[in-house]
Amino acid sequence: MVNKFIPKSLQEALLILSQHDCYIMAGGTDLMVMKHRSSGLLPSFDKDIIYIANLQELNFIKDVSGSLTIGATATYSDILKSPIVPQLLKDIIIEIASPSLRNMATLIGNIGNASPAGDSLVGLYLLDAQVELISLRGTRTMPISEFIYGVRRIHREKDELIKSVIIPAHHFTQVKWKKVGSRKAETISKITFAGAYTLEKGIVRDFRLAFGSVSITVVRRPELEAKYIGLSVKQFKDKISDILSDYGQYITPISDQRSTKDYRYKVAMNIARDFISHIG
Amino acid sequence: MAKIKFVINHQPVEVDVDPSARLLDVLRNNLHMMGTKEGCGEGSCGACTVLVNGVSYSSCLTPMANVIGKEVLTIDGFNQTKQYRIIADAFSELGASQCGFCTPGMIMSTYALFLSNPRPTEEEVRLALSGNLCRCTGYNAIIKAVLLAAEEGEERGIKW
Repeated sequence: MVNKFIPKSLQEALLILSQHDCYIMAGGTDLMVMKHRSSGLLPSFDKDIIYIANLQELNFIKDVSGSLTIGATATYSDILKSPIVPQLLKDIIIEIASPSLRNMATLIGNIGNASPAGDSLVGLYLLDAQVELISLRGTRTMPISEFIYGVRRIHREKDELIKSVIIPAHHFTQVKWKKVGSRKAETISKITFAGAYTLEKGIVRDFRLAFGSVSITVVRRPELEAKYIGLSVKQFKDKISDILSDYGQYITPISDQRSTKDYRYKVAMNIARDFISHIG
Repeated sequence: MAKIKFVINHQPVEVDVDPSARLLDVLRNNLHMMGTKEGCGEGSCGACTVLVNGVSYSSCLTPMANVIGKEVLTIDGFNQTKQYRIIADAFSELGASQCGFCTPGMIMSTYALFLSNPRPTEEEVRLALSGNLCRCTGYNAIIKAVLLAAEEGEERGIKW
């Protein structure tokens, strides 16, 4: 028999988490699918559950000293309606699932689930998002690229709750999002790509690429970005094949029911090539 | 088990269920409201769409813990309204329902759309219904029916 906790405040939730190893459920759109059994039967949870969807203290989307901060119970629909959310994140979210699931699902849930095919993660990696964790012991913050370390593997201690995600402001010259799936809605990605660059007087001052569904976690390589930042647009474009072969070694997809590794590799490279060749 | 209070089709209720029970099962098995259908059971088909506090939810993925204190509207309550009649008549007129299994979900998604956008474009209708699958009609009749219902609603001065 597992316990089901429905805390009325964040403080109560943290107290429960300090005493019990729980699944943390917000919208339920991942956990209710994973634990689903036949119609009429209860989902088969193998450990305690804490329901946090109704914690209004965590339902915020706000600017905190220049950084967008999105709380754990803000849904995708809440985020789409917010005037302070960057367009890249909205472009990603509008292609996730369907309206009813976006009314239920949370961005923080997508982080906690840490699927290699989590679309929002690609944007969050690109935007240098930080994950803020809270427990009775205090809070701590770490880059999302460190927080997620494998397929559904995150650096959350049992007593911690992901409180919010913090997204610093950016002013790119151009941003691109591309999702490849079997249909327009309700589809889990075969490949996702986010790219951004900033030009100043013909010089590439910022350049970043992120790929989803092509490795165990989102692929973003700051050391490769650094290699090409500072070049003129012409020099940069002359290096397309170098850039692609640099990234190619990290594009290591698998074949599964949605796609094959060859297709994923080829299409990821094509999207990156298209993005780079249009810089300027 | 927990005593969970919420509002179903404008009536306050209290049910004694497990907080992880699916709203869909409680509607059908505890409250005997059979209008809401189960298709895929994993949030992909929209047959179980209901409104929670005025926005669409997939009731097959909604644990009862998440509807505490909320207002749930299902096809079994909505079908008593003139707003329902306008949508249902448009579906009938344009052949937008064949086997009918997806229709309750389609109608609830349509109503959710009209609540925020009473005169949607075709593109907006397609986006709003993108989570509702129909294996009979091929969708075009449904999209046209929603646009017709929006037009009718405006002509008759309906407040969605």
